[in-house]
Amino acid sequence: MTTSFIPILAVDVLGSVAMVVIALLSLYKAKILRILDPDNAVFLYLLWISTGFTVFAVSRAFGHILKQFLVLSANIETWHAISSYSGSINTVSFMLVGLITIFFNQIWNINVKILSGREKLENTHIELMDLNQTLEQKVIERTERLTSSEHKCRRIFEQSLDTIIVTDSDFKIMEINLAGITLTGYTRDEMIMKKMTAGSFFADPAEWDRIRHKIGSEEYILNEEAEFLRPDNEALLVLITGGIDYGAFGCAKSFHFIIKNVNEKRQMERQIAQADKLAALGELSAGVAHEINNPLGIILGYSQLLLKQAPEHQDDLKIIEKHVQNCKTVVSDLLSFSRKGSPEMSIVDINKVVDGVVKFLSNHSDFRNIEMSLNPYTGDRLNILGNEQELAQVMLNLVINACHAVDGKGKIDITTEKAKDEKILIIVKDNGKGIDKKNLTRIFDPFFTTKPVGQGTGLGLSVGYGIIKRHNGDIRVTSSKENGTVFTISLPADRTAT
Amino acid sequence: MSKKNLSSIRLFLKFISAMMIAGMILLPVDGYATQLHASSEGIITHQVGHLFFLFSMVVLIFTVTGKGLDQQKGWRLIQYSAFFFILWNLDAITAHFFDNQILAVKIENISLTKMKIVTSNNSPLLAWFYYVLKLDHLLCVPAMLFLYKGLSNLVEEQKALTAKKGTQ
Repeated sequence: MTTSFIPILAVDVLGSVAMVVIALLSLYKAKILRILDPDNAVFLYLLWISTGFTVFAVSRAFGHILKQFLVLSANIETWHAISSYSGSINTVSFMLVGLITIFFNQIWNINVKILSGREKLENTHIELMDLNQTLEQKVIERTERLTSSEHKCRRIFEQSLDTIIVTDSDFKIMEINLAGITLTGYTRDEMIMKKMTAGSFFADPAEWDRIRHKIGSEEYILNEEAEFLRPDNEALLVLITGGIDYGAFGCAKSFHFIIKNVNEKRQMERQIAQADKLAALGELSAGVAHEINNPLGIILGYSQLLLKQAPEHQDDLKIIEKHVQNCKTVVSDLLSFSRKGSPEMSIVDINKVVDGVVKFLSNHSDFRNIEMSLNPYTGDRLNILGNEQELAQVMLNLVINACHAVDGKGKIDITTEKAKDEKILIIVKDNGKGIDKKNLTRIFDPFFTTKPVGQGTGLGLSVGYGIIKRHNGDIRVTSSKENGTVFTISLPADRTAT
Repeated sequence: MSKKNLSSIRLFLKFISAMMIAGMILLPVDGYATQLHASSEGIITHQVGHLFFLFSMVVLIFTVTGKGLDQQKGWRLIQYSAFFFILWNLDAITAHFFDNQILAVKIENISLTKMKIVTSNNSPLLAWFYYVLKLDHLLCVPAMLFLYKGLSNLVEEQKALTAKKGTQ
């Protein structure tokens, strides 16, 4: 078939030139990509591909153009001589392009890893820069927060109303707060210098041993009740909660204790129980006294009548009359203890009552060797609304009891005070032998006495208790063998009188 | 086995070895260290090269799609380029098959403007088909053009990205 050669020639020559030009332009673009991001492996790969295509285009164009030139210039033999070399170069060039292309997937994966690593590196760099720039500020902020936190903890420790004690692993006191110093009665230096342990405060060492073993085995104790003994021998009831701190940041093991003073609370509970018991006894006494009083009146009446009518039995009848009178006194005292209301109430000056009782008793032979001192309140008059005789009876009983407590030789202090809460206090203090702990809760019970039979009826304090309660007051006692006994009467002040 | 026997065997083996070395030096024969290649290897290698190039372009198309890069215009244009290179390779393989491998077609230049396509079976259809195949630049030039356009697009995108990073 004979046909025009022009189209093939034109496409071959122009196409070859176009291939070279476009390949070079592609190489240029790939080079720009590489410059824009030199670390991008894909752009490096595109540069290789473009280079391969350029080699391919140039070798091919050279071969094609040269072929056409040699064929048209009748040098076909020359072309045959070099065509093998041209073809080989051409083959190698596009195989090179194919080879590079085939590794695109691997190149891409490597690039993803590089980019991911670079991004992480950049982020870390930014964080580091930020940290470096703000490090000083951060240190200041953290220090402030730490100081604030330490200050809060210190405030809680120092200002806690409960005792907080920190001890070492041998229970030696390392730190104690102000409340602890007040509670225990020892100074901080004293505790640390003498290497006192938490067990030093316990009244009973066996109790401390029990608590120590419990915290050792269970690692904590919760609301354990114990009795502390202060240096002034005052006993305090406390609740102890504690635990082990195994330490952090290289700190040694330590123990922490929180101690709550429940002495007043327990005393209050005991007083309430005592008041309840006495109220019940009062009801019982009133009933018994009422039932006995009438038969006693009849016995007394008939015995007195017989005394007039039958003089031959006078001695026997007088014995009957005397003992009936004694019974009536006991019954009268019982009624005084249990009486609900006072029939005659008036304004009474407590100082006057106390002064009268002291003057009356100071002349008594039993008080000859007793140093009795009166410390009356010197401010306003201590007026209350009450019955003067009954109050005098109470005072008389207390002072006589004090006299018995000091065995007729000792010291009795009587003080009157006005408390802040509009209460008037009468304090009777002796330096006698004190009251046994086991008897303290029973001293206001009717017929309870520690005196020998026949020397006391055991109604004095019961009657006094009843009188004070009728005056809306309160009577309390504290006692120890070393310091004697203190009775404190609290009565409401009369506001109308001032 | 005794030591005496062993030394006798060793002596015999040494003698055989010495005789063989002497024979190789004194009586040389032709050695075929390298294999001879037939002239048809050239076209076969060229065709395999085209097939490899075609295969690599197919791999490129699927890899670009697999990585989700075809969402970017630049890579999409590179895919088009690969497609045209596949067509060009098919064209070239077919043309070489006819004129170089089975020698079914031959071109004779009559003048500057005329040529004659001689087919082995005088088929005008094969002649025309071969004539069209010879216009292969109509496939490889667009392929190169798509490659250039693709790279240009990637350059623009990269510049925009760099500018964006610069403003941040």
